Amino acid sequence: MTVPPTSHMTAASPPASGPISYAATARVLMRLAWARTFTPMVLLGCIGLALLPMVFALVFAARGSLSGDPVEFLVMRYDQLVAGLATPLIALLVGTSAFSAESDDGTLVYLVTTTTPRWWIVASRVTFASLLTGCVSALAVWGTGAIAANGSDPEHVTSAFTLAVFFGGATYAALFTLLALVTRRALVTGLVYVLFWEATLSSTFPALHYLSVRYWMLSVAARFTDASGATLDDGPSLGFSVAASIVLLLATVVIGGRRLDRPRVTRLGT
Amino acid sequence: MTHEMTRVMTAPISFEHVSVWYGDVVAVNDITCHVDAGITGLLGPNGAGKTTLLQLAAGLLPPSSGRVQLFGESPVARPEIFRHVALVPEREALPGMLTPREFVEARATLLGLRDVRGAARAALEQVELDTVATRRIDGFSKGMRQRTKLAAALVHGPRVVLLDEPFNGLDPRQRLHMMRLLEARAAAGTAVLLSSHILEEIEEVAAQILVVLAGRLAASGDYRALRRLMSDRPHTVFVRASAPRQLAAALMQSDTVLGVEIDEAGIRIRTTDFSALSRMLVRAAHHGGITLHEVQPTDESLEHVFAYLVER
Repeated sequence: MTVPPTSHMTAASPPASGPISYAATARVLMRLAWARTFTPMVLLGCIGLALLPMVFALVFAARGSLSGDPVEFLVMRYDQLVAGLATPLIALLVGTSAFSAESDDGTLVYLVTTTTPRWWIVASRVTFASLLTGCVSALAVWGTGAIAANGSDPEHVTSAFTLAVFFGGATYAALFTLLALVTRRALVTGLVYVLFWEATLSSTFPALHYLSVRYWMLSVAARFTDASGATLDDGPSLGFSVAASIVLLLATVVIGGRRLDRPRVTRLGT
Repeated sequence: MTHEMTRVMTAPISFEHVSVWYGDVVAVNDITCHVDAGITGLLGPNGAGKTTLLQLAAGLLPPSSGRVQLFGESPVARPEIFRHVALVPEREALPGMLTPREFVEARATLLGLRDVRGAARAALEQVELDTVATRRIDGFSKGMRQRTKLAAALVHGPRVVLLDEPFNGLDPRQRLHMMRLLEARAAAGTAVLLSSHILEEIEEVAAQILVVLAGRLAASGDYRALRRLMSDRPHTVFVRASAPRQLAAALMQSDTVLGVEIDEAGIRIRTTDFSALSRMLVRAAHHGGITLHEVQPTDESLEHVFAYLVER
């Protein structure tokens, strides 16, 4: 683009600029995402979801030897309450909040009218949502494990699921960030996906395990724990899960970046 | 290379047969025009297509047909154009939990500025928000939010500034300050395209206008020149002269003069042809030895032009 020079008679030169700093822009984008994400509702939702498996663990610990095998208990609760509920719902809340809010109130314009590449805006937001989902889910895993197994990590089940929730958190965060960019009803669509596709369909039909982020997550846990069982053994291979997750992450960055070329803002005017 | 092609390649903003439709709804219909350095007012009633044109100019919306160019290149899907372009949307929503300093610094970082703090400080000083730069935006009035948006837009010294209803919510002093700010930028060679449905605002800062009605470009150019082209509507001209009655009598000889009123202040002449009247006035004054103290068209307001275009 050939832009004629500014007249220096009447105005100061524009401030010096150059290529963006990827680290600085990522910090700014995450700071803005943090500011837009943490409404009281989202905060309460995340805390509630993280505490839920710990409540079950407290009941398990209170019953002492009547409760049975802690490894079996942990695998079941990690699968149902963390991998099946907490991680996807936390990712849904933090993955959709920022972009959805910015699209609805029009402030997305302030991000896309900058020289920062749009794919990088999406990548930074996915990273933010991934880290937050992973950390909150990991707290739920650690807390539940510590309570139910009395501070130990039998058969490495807690450490395996900690890795799994970071992996699953990143994958779900990518999926739901993309959803926030392509649909106006990201939260409802995401809820339908989690409660209908993940919790009902893919649990009922083994063929759908290959299209379920929850089963990709379980395949990571299965690889790093010595525990076994139908939940851990029925999923796809680790290689498939990692490859599928990478494809999803790349698709989110590419498709999401292109969506930001034509930002979906409710209206620029009133 | 034709003059028109050269114009398209060098004009800060050019629209060539641009149309935008959403399903069956035509938002912008075959608009061709150029926006040069200086302030251009984008006028039209609500829903006329002003915001769509600004979005097109910023490359945030691709045209359904036709071509939009900024300095000769398409702005669609090219974030690098924002090194030279700024858009101030009409909506007043801003990240309320940030302070204006944090917000403007965030924009400066995302625009790749070297001295983020210095640029943000200068932009906030320009809009007189430096004294409240550390207060949270969610406690700001509408006018303060408008100024925050302007600071965020001007932080990188853009060469094209697109503003959607920028004077909403500003008190008269702030409005005047913003006008002077935009005039200074325009004088420095920046192209300012300013939408408003309040004619007085545009009239005060912009001589060049684009009038959009129902998605179509109804008129473009200097609104005073446009008024003179409205030949089917009489012009009223006020004249103060040393011998008003003698001058009035001379003017009444002409077919283009529809009527003359004389009062203590001077003569009010109604004519169908402003240019002919101007020539006739000079001739009559010369032959009659009359001194002309003042010749002033009284109905060349933008409101007059706009009303004419809307009624047409």
